[in-house]
Amino acid sequence: MKMPPFKLYSPSSVDEAIQIAKSLQSKQEDFDWISGGTDLIPNYKWHLNPKKNVISLANISQLTELTETTIGGMVRLQDLAESEFTHPVLAKSANSIASIMIRRSGTVGGNICLDTRCYWYNQTEDWRETIDWCHKCDCGTGADCRVIPNQNTLCVATYQADLAPVLMCMEARVHLISTSGKREMNLIDFFELDGMKKNKLLPGELLTHITIPEEISTWSGDYQKLRQRESWDFPEAGVAALWKKKEGKLEKLRIATTGLESIPGYHEDLAMELVENWEGEESIKYLSEKIRKAVKPVPNTWYTPAYRRKMVKVLTKRACKGLLSE
Amino acid sequence: MSDEEKDEMVGYRQQPGKISFSRPGSGGKNSFSEPRDEKMIPESQGGEKKQPWGDHRHDNLITGRVVGKSTSLVDSNWKVTGRAKYGDDIRLPAELIGKIVRSPYHYARVLSIDLSEASKLPGVISIATGEDAKNKFGVLPVTKDEHAMAVDRVRHIGDLIACVAAEDEATALEAVRLIKIEYEILDSIHDMKDGLKDSEVPIHDRGEYHIGEANIQKRVFQEFGHIKSMKENSVASHKKNWFFNGVNHAATEPHAVVADWDPSGRLTLYTPQQVPHYVHRALADVLEIPMHQINVHRTFVGGGFGGKSDPFPHEMCASILARKSGRPVRITFDREEVYWINRGRHPSHIEMNLHADDEGRLCGIETDALIDGGAFASFGHVTTYYNGVLHTAPYEIGAFHYTGARVWTNKPASGAMRGHGAVNSRCAVEVGIDDISEQLQVDPISFRLANLLPPHSATITGFRVTSIGMRECLERVMKESGWKEKFRKMPLGHGIGIGCGFFISGSGLPIHWDPNKFPHATVHLKIDMDGGVTVHTGAADIGQGSDTVVAQSVAEVLGLPLDMIRIKSRETDTSPVDLGSYSSRVTFMNANAAISAAMEIRSDLLNATSEITKAPIEKLVIGDRRIFRKDEPAIGVSYLEALHKAQEDRGALVASGAYRTPPMGRAHKGAAAGLAPAYSFSAYVAEVKVDVETGQTKVEKVWAAHDCGKALNPLAVKGQIIGSCHMGMGQVLSEEMRYGRTGNLMNTDLLDYKIPSVHEMPHVTPIIVESNDPEGPFGAKEAGEGPLLPILPAVCNAVYDAIGVRTNELPITPDRLHKNIERKCRELKIDDPNDLPSPRLEHSKLQDTLEKRAKEHSIRDKERRLTSEIEPYHNGALFGMDPTIPPDEVDESWEVTVIPSEEYLENPRLAGSAWVHTERRKRGI
Ligand SMILES: Cc1cc2nc3c(=O)[nH]c(=O)nc-3n(C[C@H](O)[C@H](O)[C@H](O)COP(=O)(O)OP(=O)(O)OC[C@H]3O[C@@H](n4cnc5c(N)ncnc54)[C@H](O)[C@@H]3O)c2cc1C
Ligand code: SF4
Repeated sequence: MKMPPFKLYSPSSVDEAIQIAKSLQSKQEDFDWISGGTDLIPNYKWHLNPKKNVISLANISQLTELTETTIGGMVRLQDLAESEFTHPVLAKSANSIASIMIRRSGTVGGNICLDTRCYWYNQTEDWRETIDWCHKCDCGTGADCRVIPNQNTLCVATYQADLAPVLMCMEARVHLISTSGKREMNLIDFFELDGMKKNKLLPGELLTHITIPEEISTWSGDYQKLRQRESWDFPEAGVAALWKKKEGKLEKLRIATTGLESIPGYHEDLAMELVENWEGEESIKYLSEKIRKAVKPVPNTWYTPAYRRKMVKVLTKRACKGLLSE
Repeated sequence: MSDEEKDEMVGYRQQPGKISFSRPGSGGKNSFSEPRDEKMIPESQGGEKKQPWGDHRHDNLITGRVVGKSTSLVDSNWKVTGRAKYGDDIRLPAELIGKIVRSPYHYARVLSIDLSEASKLPGVISIATGEDAKNKFGVLPVTKDEHAMAVDRVRHIGDLIACVAAEDEATALEAVRLIKIEYEILDSIHDMKDGLKDSEVPIHDRGEYHIGEANIQKRVFQEFGHIKSMKENSVASHKKNWFFNGVNHAATEPHAVVADWDPSGRLTLYTPQQVPHYVHRALADVLEIPMHQINVHRTFVGGGFGGKSDPFPHEMCASILARKSGRPVRITFDREEVYWINRGRHPSHIEMNLHADDEGRLCGIETDALIDGGAFASFGHVTTYYNGVLHTAPYEIGAFHYTGARVWTNKPASGAMRGHGAVNSRCAVEVGIDDISEQLQVDPISFRLANLLPPHSATITGFRVTSIGMRECLERVMKESGWKEKFRKMPLGHGIGIGCGFFISGSGLPIHWDPNKFPHATVHLKIDMDGGVTVHTGAADIGQGSDTVVAQSVAEVLGLPLDMIRIKSRETDTSPVDLGSYSSRVTFMNANAAISAAMEIRSDLLNATSEITKAPIEKLVIGDRRIFRKDEPAIGVSYLEALHKAQEDRGALVASGAYRTPPMGRAHKGAAAGLAPAYSFSAYVAEVKVDVETGQTKVEKVWAAHDCGKALNPLAVKGQIIGSCHMGMGQVLSEEMRYGRTGNLMNTDLLDYKIPSVHEMPHVTPIIVESNDPEGPFGAKEAGEGPLLPILPAVCNAVYDAIGVRTNELPITPDRLHKNIERKCRELKIDDPNDLPSPRLEHSKLQDTLEKRAKEHSIRDKERRLTSEIEPYHNGALFGMDPTIPPDEVDESWEVTVIPSEEYLENPRLAGSAWVHTERRKRGI
């Protein structure tokens, strides 16, 4: 299998990276950022929307900061999982990603900005030719979506990254930079319901780091992941729950899901409802059922949508189990 | 004798002038011979090695050197240091890169191929299409249905249409893109059930032998025993319709090939093949050149498991391109192409029916197996038989009814895969026995122990079974797993299950010739002054360790360390013909051939020693590089002394040994399928945890007992057992070739084709049972495929023990199991799966009957394996027939039928309905 050739840039500072981006943009040349490359390179090998230029963030030491409240985009997943600064729930989700080898290359930035996945898309070029391509990488054919046909506008590929739901529950903020300057937003607002656009990054914009409110260290919670094998497999569903109790009383609860739609889901209202009407086990059951109903997976991953929805219910129940014991 | 005279060796020639040669040493690295290891010498030869299974015809050849000792494989250093050259590691000067143009359609006529643009591309050296090679080939001579490239039609996505050789990969790929092909799309068949129906354009045309106008490649009908009365006599019956998804070998190394026509006009094909000899033949057919003009060079093989045992179209392509271009051509597959070429286990619909009578005997097995062959025949003719005949043992049965059919569909071809044809139906039988035992309220291990065929018996279809270690396998796993404390006693979600296996140790019939005419395996030995032994064998080491087994056999007989044996097994130019590494034949056949060859050399050495020492040959024994009087060990010579003496008149010693199977089997149509000179047996217990809420199954522990006759290399046997567990676990839990709604294979990569990772691997306790096969080399039988069979049913049965839910589709992915759990909950009107009852067992009276019978049989079996005059025992004796006569000879109601009756055809089973069609020739077409 041959990767299409590209020109690789390796800036050593964020400024330099932005300069390179600027000059490429001015020449109307497109490019991708690359961090660990564990997602981008397989996609390039399969000729999934490869670009002529690639800018590597690997040499930018500014992006590797890791404290209790700041996580640089270039922090490797394994480092995140092992760090004493990492909240145990975040560490658990980081530790569940791919395999140890991939975690040593893969990064936090790459994980958050992970491309969406689909059975009809994450395939070799030859394979995709046999289905006459699909909307997300149509090779100029104007091909339809193979999952939900007869609508040429939306791609429903699935967002299957593990960190986002936990970070959403932590109310993390993402910090971005581009030729038009810096900006930041809540991670909850970062994603866009379109398997192709995926998130709010502007062309040439990159994620420098994320920040987490300090008080989160006192929160408890859990992350539950559904997959076939304990290694390698992407989440077929994932549920993060984080809560805060005061004197044994539940004060706050946040729930987020992944692996079920084109974006991770943040279920603020449902969580709030539970806090307000907390009645122990029954409430968790009720919440789990509500979450099952709230998510709408489509048939483009290993398990069937019906099963994934049923399992969200089980995962939610398990993620919230700690609410009962503490 | 003066000191000087002492140094002059008797029989060792001296130069004129009396310049004495130094006395030759013992050969080998260590100049001192080690004392004979009496612990390894069998009792029958006066040694200390106990022989609870009796003595063996090779006992007198045991020197105590290597056989039975754990040894790392002789080629392992090459592998671990990265020096081993696999298919894609071959680099020849001026090589070109070959790429294949493949069909994007399931089924289509190729109307035209336009090469004009591609051939203009600078760097493109040659292009070939189906026009360049019109002769058909296929692994079985009876079903040649493949072309190097499409001649008129493409039959599955990924089928070959053309190939290109260019200076580099990028150019070759660009050329592939520039080839323009016009197609006429045909209606494709994806569901194997549709393959049974008449079709407008059958995928292949068998001419006058075509069955109806359907896509049936092979059909089998067999009835043996008391068919009519089996249902009447039964008190418990099991029936289940299974679906087994197809699985792929997924060997680490993707296929790769290099073809080179040398200046003298000969072709050398470098290929990681399991069966070099068949490629050799197929190349000669397709390229239309004589076989002697071709040298097939087997490279190191990065795993085969049956996936590299057909002659392949890409091997033809590389050869054709190399001939056209005059330069070496290398083709290496992407992983996706491995799935296109496939030859994996057949997707199968299997209906399994078992009947047991009031004495807890299996009074009948009825099996119907429809198997999906994909686009080509491959080994399918045999697979169709194996799905039936390979479950006629280890149990004695009152009747056996089998209908099997293999159909062509527009999918990548299925073929032979580890446990060929036996795995799926074995799983169905063993799960059935679990169910029947439950109905009878008996322990399933007791049920099995009371229904085993004895050693030296004939199965219902007439297979001659020699050694059987099944009982010991069962007893060992029962004991070591703590079965009695666990079975039907553990809490919900925690279960234990048993499964058995039975497999051929070498196919009795060489595919290309009459076994009475040519041997199955031949081994040549050459020894010169240096004392090292060069072994020429065509057996293909595919990682299973066949080189090591041959080296061990020769080393054992000659009393040499392994490093003095040099195996030359790579090239058909130098190696004698061998049928290759399939059907678990290599150890049995090739080691037997090697032993015969070594015996010749041994006899030369003993004669020479006798001449030197004047000791009679019967008094001599061979130890570590030394031959000496057994009664007076001080009298003897070193190995080299004896060798040089033997060489005096003729130079290097050469010897040839061969193996052929004894005449066996019965005469009905298809009687040869499944016939083997010996059979292996195995029993596994698996312990699992099942999450009732998610349906996820985790196999925690496996106790795996396998009867391999004799472990020539216990380390390798254990490796095979553990490896088989891993592979079988894949099929039972997560591996499947998944076809999407458009008929496309959705998971042609190793992320979505889900091989268990190290995390999924249970703790496996390998248990070796040595039943000492009378015809096996030093008693050995196979250990490469049989050990895979029991893990599937053991896991299925353990899942049932854990949650009381049976599956009927493999793999038992969590979503499938969860569906079954939900169904069970609905049946029992339970809301929460955590409230499911765990299965429990209360023994019926039959349990005592079975235990008593098992005890009696155990005594019977021990007697039978130790006496020298063994009475015949034919399946049927358990049901009151005379054991010494084939039952059909004395009882008219004992069927032996291979053609269905009109009555059957009125209401056939699924695969049996293949017989509703009439062959064209019988319709006068
Ligand atoms: C076999 C396998 C299994 C996997 N299993 C899992 C799993 O279980 N869970 C999971 O979550 N992931 C999984 N992954 C995906 C991937 O390895 C991880 O998500 C990883 O974190 C991606 O990080 P990366 O640095 O390698 O990303 P890259 O490949 O470098 O980049 C991924 C994408 O993000 C963009 N990007 C990268 N960094 C930035 C940035 N700083 N700013 C803006 N855009 C950026 C890139 O342009 C690219 O589009 C798996 C991958 C493989 C190959
Ligand atoms: S969801 Fe549709 S458009 Fe998106 S990748 Fe899958 S098939 Fe293509």
